[in-house]
Amino acid sequence: MDEIIPKVSFYVFGVPVRNTVVGTWITMVFIILGVWYVRRTLPTALVMLIDFVRDSITGIMGSSVQADRYIPFLGTLVIFLLVANNIFVIPAIATPTMDINTPLALSIVVFFAVHYFGFREQGILGYLKARASPLLILDIISDVSRTLSLSLRLFGNILAGEVIVAVIYRLVGPLAPLPLIVLSLVTGVLQAYVYFVLTANAIASAVVRT
Amino acid sequence: MFDLEPGTLITVITILVGGIGMVLGAILPAVVEGRAVLRALDGMVRQPEVANDLRNTLIVSLAILETTAIYVLLVIFVIFFANPLLDRFFPAG
Repeated sequence: MDEIIPKVSFYVFGVPVRNTVVGTWITMVFIILGVWYVRRTLPTALVMLIDFVRDSITGIMGSSVQADRYIPFLGTLVIFLLVANNIFVIPAIATPTMDINTPLALSIVVFFAVHYFGFREQGILGYLKARASPLLILDIISDVSRTLSLSLRLFGNILAGEVIVAVIYRLVGPLAPLPLIVLSLVTGVLQAYVYFVLTANAIASAVVRT
Repeated sequence: MFDLEPGTLITVITILVGGIGMVLGAILPAVVEGRAVLRALDGMVRQPEVANDLRNTLIVSLAILETTAIYVLLVIFVIFFANPLLDRFFPAG
């Protein structure tokens, strides 16, 4: 089971750097190279993917003008998660989302981003007025539990895939976990989509004018 | 069974709870997800024009329902690989 627990790779000035952090850096390199490639050639498949993301946000937000303001944030999330969840197909690279810290950090970013968008859209007073109701305590609970459930869902799904692959590899041998790796790929893409849709829903419920 | 050593007893109970919990945590979400898919398919057959909307909602709600099974799995990972009780009673092992 040692393969699935994040290990300290090396130390930078006494700060331990885990192999999932190295995986995050490699993910960033991949994304930057991909962006550079896309800027030069504009492949059709990627254009379709971006259109799909845009259509999804439009469907959730209600109008395309509204949706365009949140494409940078939500698009960054979905691109990062798509690459990060599936980086494990390259051998010897740890999936960044296999470490609870990565999904938790993303969820905390989402937590603050939702409130920031709410403030930006309705003004500080307007947003506070919209939130101030007898249900405020339930709102706070749902904010916290959304942060927890977003991070735990992503972490659990990715970790479960890794564990199953490790167990089958240990029990049967090389090449046996291939179907399960394909299943993990599907799970990674699906979880990226789910994370994106739930975040978009949270933002939509925060910025709607009442 | 209860005259075992405490470490063995905790390990045995951990394994039992892990197995039973995973079985229950897999069965219940599967049943509920099956009902959700059934209703969504019903809706798609009745009104094919909203099939796209239904499909997106279905995928998202399936993922949310699946989360309960994932929570069970996470708890079982914790009690298997980082059991807090074993750490408390036997700090060395």
